[in-house]
Amino acid sequence: MHLFRFSRSIYGGSDVIIGANYDLLVWFVAAGAVVIIVHALYKAFTKTNNHASP
Amino acid sequence: MANSQPNTRIQRHKLADRIYHWLMAVAVLILLGSSLLPILGWKFPWLDLHWITGLVLTILVLFHIVRALGWQNFWAMMIDGQDVRDIVNSATGAPVSKPGKYTPAQKLYHLAVSVLILGGIGSGLLMLRKIDTPFWNRDPYWFDDLGWGVIYAIHGFVAMALVTMVMIHIYFALRPDEWRLTRSMFRGWITSKEYQDHHDPKRWQAKDEA
Repeated sequence: MHLFRFSRSIYGGSDVIIGANYDLLVWFVAAGAVVIIVHALYKAFTKTNNHASP
Repeated sequence: MANSQPNTRIQRHKLADRIYHWLMAVAVLILLGSSLLPILGWKFPWLDLHWITGLVLTILVLFHIVRALGWQNFWAMMIDGQDVRDIVNSATGAPVSKPGKYTPAQKLYHLAVSVLILGGIGSGLLMLRKIDTPFWNRDPYWFDDLGWGVIYAIHGFVAMALVTMVMIHIYFALRPDEWRLTRSMFRGWITSKEYQDHHDPKRWQAKDEA
């Protein structure tokens, strides 16, 4: 999967970047979901309150 | 103030900052919706809504920067040496100290969102040169094809990354153990007990910085 969207130059040159590839959006959503799920599971299975006395 | 009754209210966010936060949240959601929903297939006249909301967000962010520099404790949101030590300690399972007004994770999140929002605003302002508005006529020749492509790519990646960040932000706002922070963004305060339980008074002198 490409990071960018490309368009053929009207002058016949090489492909030109025209923007981000929005097909990647699903991966950004997945990244957010992974962070949420991993944190929720971590919190569910641990009781972390390891603050040292200031 | 911190040693008073447990239910004593300690101001965490002033009204102006809460209004800013919620206006910015609405603006970001409108911007994401008006840009990504058409890409996902929901076609509607999105352009005017998008660029006008973008200008509103720009003004809001300028307001926030001025307030942060002149009226808030700017350094309360900056990562300091103790934060770095706490991040390392947290990774190794060692005890960490209580944070000041903001935890290291909150500071890192704010830094990431700041970079994204400023990147979105900067690229968006440049993209305004490619559309006609009541205030100016389009001039698509400011940059060559590659220049415009890079600007559009930055804007697109910012939008997609903000989707990730908004998801994470809403998740933490809804967590019961973080509810005091969400409440403080609605009502402005946390209790004295919450202040003592979760913050180091030496790092956040609430009465001075709220």
